[in-house]
Amino acid sequence: MSNPLVDMEKPDVIFCIGTNMTECHPVAATRLKRAIAKGAKLIVADPRRIDLAEMADLYLPLTVGTDVALLLGMAHVIQREGLVDQSFVENRTRDAEDFFKHLGEFTPKWAQSICGVPAEDIEKAALWYGQGQPSAIYYTLGITEHICGVDNVKSLCNLALMTGNIGKEGSGINPMRGQNNVQGCGDAGGLPNNYPGFQAVTKPEHQEKFEKHYGRDIDLENGITKVTAFDQCGDGIRAMLIDGENTVVSDPDRNHCQHALESLDHLVVIDLFMNETTELADVVFPATSWAETDGVCTNTERRVQRLRAAVPPVGEAKPDWWIISQIAQRMNIPGFEFSSAKEVFNELCSLSPLYQGLDWDLIDKGEYQWPVPYKGHPGTPTLHQEKFENGRGIFTKVVYRDPAETISEDFPIWLTTGRRLQSYHTHTQTGRSAGIDYLLPGESLEIHPEDVMSLGLKDGDWCLLSSQRGSVKIRVEATARSPKGTVFSSFSFSDVPVNVLTGSGYDPVTQTAELKVCPVRIEPVKS
Amino acid sequence: MRSLTDDEILESLRGEPAPLLPILHAFHDRDGYLSPEALKVISKGLRIPIADLYGTIDFYHHFSTGEGGHHQARVCTGPICCLKEGNQILEALRSQGATPMPCAGRCDDPVVVLKGNQALLGTSAENLQPRRSPLPPEAPTLEGFEECVFAHIRSPERSQFAGYRSTGGYNALEKACSQLSQEDLLSQVEASGLAGRGGAGFPTGSKWRAVFNAPGDPKSIVCNADEGEPGCFKDRALLDHDPHAVIEGMALAAYATGAERGFIYLRYEYPETYAILEQAINDAESNGFLGENILGKFNFKLYLRRGAGAYICGEEGSLLNSLEGKHPFPRNRPPFPVTHGFEDLPTVVNNVETLASVPPIVLKGADWYQCLGHDQNAGTKVISLSGDVNKPGNYEIPIGFPLMHLIQDWAGGTPSGKRVQAVTMAGLSGGFLAGEDLDVTLDEPCIRSKGSFLGAGGIMVFDETRDMVEIAHQAMEFFAEESCGKCFPCRIGTRRLSERLGGHAGPGELTQWLNEVEALGQTMKATSSCGLGIAAPLISDSLVKYFPEQVENHVKS
Amino acid sequence: MTPPTHLQNKQSDPDSKPQGQETLTLTLDGEEVTFFAGETIYEVAERHRKEVPTLCYDPRLEPFGACRLCVVELEGARNPVASCTTQAQPGMSIKTKTPAIEEHRKVLLEMVVSENDGIEVDPLRGYASQELSTLVDRYGADTGRFQGAQSGCSKFEDDNPFILRDYNKCISCYRCVRVCAEQEGDYAISIKGRGFETQITTEFDGLLKDSACTFCGQCVQTCPTGALADRKALRAEGQDGELQKTRTICTYCGVGCSVDLVTQEDRLVAVQPAMDGPANEGALCVKGQFAFDFVQNPDRLKKPLIRREDGELHEAEWEEALQRAADGFLKALDEHGRHSVYAIASGRAPSEAAYTLQKWIRSGFGTNYIDNCSRA
Repeated sequence: MSNPLVDMEKPDVIFCIGTNMTECHPVAATRLKRAIAKGAKLIVADPRRIDLAEMADLYLPLTVGTDVALLLGMAHVIQREGLVDQSFVENRTRDAEDFFKHLGEFTPKWAQSICGVPAEDIEKAALWYGQGQPSAIYYTLGITEHICGVDNVKSLCNLALMTGNIGKEGSGINPMRGQNNVQGCGDAGGLPNNYPGFQAVTKPEHQEKFEKHYGRDIDLENGITKVTAFDQCGDGIRAMLIDGENTVVSDPDRNHCQHALESLDHLVVIDLFMNETTELADVVFPATSWAETDGVCTNTERRVQRLRAAVPPVGEAKPDWWIISQIAQRMNIPGFEFSSAKEVFNELCSLSPLYQGLDWDLIDKGEYQWPVPYKGHPGTPTLHQEKFENGRGIFTKVVYRDPAETISEDFPIWLTTGRRLQSYHTHTQTGRSAGIDYLLPGESLEIHPEDVMSLGLKDGDWCLLSSQRGSVKIRVEATARSPKGTVFSSFSFSDVPVNVLTGSGYDPVTQTAELKVCPVRIEPVKS
Repeated sequence: MRSLTDDEILESLRGEPAPLLPILHAFHDRDGYLSPEALKVISKGLRIPIADLYGTIDFYHHFSTGEGGHHQARVCTGPICCLKEGNQILEALRSQGATPMPCAGRCDDPVVVLKGNQALLGTSAENLQPRRSPLPPEAPTLEGFEECVFAHIRSPERSQFAGYRSTGGYNALEKACSQLSQEDLLSQVEASGLAGRGGAGFPTGSKWRAVFNAPGDPKSIVCNADEGEPGCFKDRALLDHDPHAVIEGMALAAYATGAERGFIYLRYEYPETYAILEQAINDAESNGFLGENILGKFNFKLYLRRGAGAYICGEEGSLLNSLEGKHPFPRNRPPFPVTHGFEDLPTVVNNVETLASVPPIVLKGADWYQCLGHDQNAGTKVISLSGDVNKPGNYEIPIGFPLMHLIQDWAGGTPSGKRVQAVTMAGLSGGFLAGEDLDVTLDEPCIRSKGSFLGAGGIMVFDETRDMVEIAHQAMEFFAEESCGKCFPCRIGTRRLSERLGGHAGPGELTQWLNEVEALGQTMKATSSCGLGIAAPLISDSLVKYFPEQVENHVKS
Repeated sequence: MTPPTHLQNKQSDPDSKPQGQETLTLTLDGEEVTFFAGETIYEVAERHRKEVPTLCYDPRLEPFGACRLCVVELEGARNPVASCTTQAQPGMSIKTKTPAIEEHRKVLLEMVVSENDGIEVDPLRGYASQELSTLVDRYGADTGRFQGAQSGCSKFEDDNPFILRDYNKCISCYRCVRVCAEQEGDYAISIKGRGFETQITTEFDGLLKDSACTFCGQCVQTCPTGALADRKALRAEGQDGELQKTRTICTYCGVGCSVDLVTQEDRLVAVQPAMDGPANEGALCVKGQFAFDFVQNPDRLKKPLIRREDGELHEAEWEEALQRAADGFLKALDEHGRHSVYAIASGRAPSEAAYTLQKWIRSGFGTNYIDNCSRA
């Protein structure tokens, strides 16, 4: 997030797109609700009539995968109506002229023809966003899990740059992180293109720094992404260490995924429970869980916070860092003589410019949001206040592209996937917590009531849901939360492995999977 | 006539300010109750959380959630209707679903029964008939005194627009608009010494000036016509028989303060009054005394809003919350309505009688009004007199007039000539006066010196045959049932006092009984958040003070 | 268990002040003290370490003024004023603890005791559950005076697994109603009836699961009497061991809510929100509040597993498993080169896990062959 969570209570206008925040980030959503109670206007763009849409002052029900069209239409109106923040554009951005010329043809009428949102509502959304003092954007995986995920994000950046809604209180472009430490995982260097602290591996000075610290040569090229790695399993990739991820269920195209892992010579998995992924491993290590582990995690607003063990580990479970270090020691790799999480974290701080001013003891109360470039620095709740990291904010001439697969005679319905409030991810944790099944006993497919009828189904029936990659059996839930022609399910339940169906395409830059769009067919089936 | 659809009701009212109550009434009238489906439609249409809406309608007496509930009889079991045949009528009608209701403001003409939107009167279940509410009795002549608000009320057709005009109506507004600046009008009302006639007695001119000075628009004028105090029925008389006087008073208030919208918040139990006011507002608007560009000077849109049966809504904070569609708890003060009233904007909240006093003051001058009072007192006060008197009714008296003079000479004394045992003050809120303390003059300083207060001017008379403990118990039960439940001392204290006065709980030993009643009363008076909890213990305190023997017998038995 | 922090140690340094605000003065118990524009009398008194009792106050919520325990004497006012709803003004003279005020507080508490069937409750019921009993003890208010009808009616038929609705212990402070609206924005809880008959309710007086309730548990944690109670925590009622709290961060989404883990000996028995958590300021959701017992679920892996000749995974000792893991990677390195090994870091594990894993890949193989699950 460019701005801190407390800022969520400060905007005039809040634009939520591709985020089901009340279910996926409920506590962040409480701040948003407080902003609304104080009079902020809420615009929600989402294919589904989610709870946030019910709270909205303006709801934009766009067709799945058409965010770029909607956002181009809005940018067009902002320019046409003279809502561009000229001094911000002049002083803080570049490539504006090209971009503004590019916008000319993308009228709201054009956008309507693609995204299905009435042109007058696109106009209204653009006016509100453009006039808000300030306006803020919030998004989640509904923006990124597309083949055009990067284009979607850049389209949002364009809106914020045009209107100067970045770098000031209550504004910003704010992605909500889905997992408790997905931010920290990236911060710590768990990426093929960055060393810890987002230091690009392709820069020789970074390479030199880490070669010196780690005592060996390291590639100057980016590593391959996980998606590519899975494609190469059994071929180029022969051994894999997976830490705490039920890849088989949570990743797209389950059959491909399972096949990839099966073709490895050596698979080591660290996890809490047996699951579909550990089943394929050669060695499984029991990790200590949350509540048994000391450590650090970083939240969506870049706040670096301490985890503390409250109970002893079950059985012989060990912390992940200890397990990895022990493997490293047995491979005679130097530098793994860690005796505590504190030592590991302090080494990370010493190597990351973002954490340079932090150490284990300083973050005891969770007061710091990175970057904290030196000891005594107060942290950085809001990014880009004076300037952008790379100098100027760059406008990008984004164009609309269809999803990887579009609906056809064989697969005439859009499937989109996501999470539900009561369940988390592949349900390995929430599913083992008493009472959750009272609220969410199983998975179902949300279908608009009229579609349910025309498919010859009834609420509560079973149906067979198929894509080019496979089929799953799932129960029907008739609900107007889903628009006509689009259905929804989560991927939480292993008995309804929805990710058997997904995986139609990947963003060319990030290789993030298009989990939010998948053409499917629905057929009645006897239970 | 085809009844309106859900959407038609919502669409017709959603654009108005304070839409919840009229929408609820429209569904209630159409369906005969508020169905769960109706509540869901309203919740969605007005974006009020369904749980809040469900809880809030339950707060009011008269919204039924059972099918047909709106048309079932509600029988007044207020203190006066109880003295007559209220309980017997209730028992007779119970098999048809009748339920009791607290004092419905017809103490000069008991017993009143509400059925749907009709008030029926009678002394038995068989002879219930609708009839117009009584006019104030003709006042005896009194040297140097003339009536202010009742001066023209007995003129035929005064309640109609034409009749009002022909007896000098709207002349004050015309005078103000042609001759007086806002400042002139504010000064005149200040100089008159007019003070709030709903009971609190706050100087009206100061209140108006505060709203005039307060930042924020639009400003509002709210007429508090939620006359819920048992034994008070003066506002009903004014609104039934002289509605334009109140409307003219509101228009003058709007002109003086710069308010653009007004509300009359009328209690549910006056359905006929509602119809009269609806007509009067329409007539005033079509004749240019309300609405846009009034007399070329100002805009003032007046809305009529009907309560749904809750005594606490007479408290101005509760009233404003009720208007806004919120749970009708009182508000914390400060801030006061003059700066943070309706929708947190500057708002005048005035009583009916206060507003009706303004046109005569504008026409005849501040000095004239000042001199109406008895001795050193300014102005007049309408007293609603009821109970054991020969001629119950509304009497406009010069402030400072002796109580017993009113009872004996104006109202003809007790029916059988029995001794007056006690009177209540301020309806029930002032507790009892008895014995030597009946020898008071009707002005706040004198009555406050006896530990009571005049308030809205409801006085109920009880002769020597009445069981004062029972009357006190009924009074406390009323407060317990009407306590809103927000603050602890009132919510718990009124229940505990009622239990002790009714003999349902509490110590059986006199000293302990008295200690508990006193401790409860002291803490209620000191810590309650609004007037209800502060006033309620005056009932038990004055009972113990004047009738120690009746109390002792009660505790022993 | 330690009492709620806002009863116990909320008092910050009385001399610390928000930057850039004008310092004003008033007289508090005979002493001239400073305050800041916009503060209530209660806040000023708290900051100056006066023990002003209250039951309806939650620092996260708008002041409400229901319990009246916080009344103080204000010079010039006819009656005591509720300090929580009264703004401090320059020149005010306030007494927080006169004999008369203390007597009213005791009477108020005696009234509250009289409306309930008992006030001692297990601290497992919730974060604030000891507030009433603590105050009643302090004022010696369990005297048996003012007996009469009981208020509130428990809704035991609501058999949801999370929230016990024991309204027999309700004192109508409306903290649950207010926290649901103001803090959580769900508006699931409301008030039915009035006066002594007031009842906490939901839409159409139904079950929580049929209402707008999201089971975030905020109502439970703010309830000062334990009338709303944490049913999962109460599974540990009567078991041996002191209750202890450990501060950590919720394990679910990326918001990073601070929580206190409540443990009894080696058992994790409940989660409570950290009222001073920087990201959540006391708020939680159903997962953070209630979905914790996977930690000690019997399904947990307790020993390393190795796939043996029979093709099945078998429990093994650590040394053997670690060696087997290391050998497998060395073999791949040896036979297929350093670009044959890949690592996937977890967005669910602490940063130390990701750090060591990337170091293992980079310093062990000299590649950047690592990614994490954020791509899914």
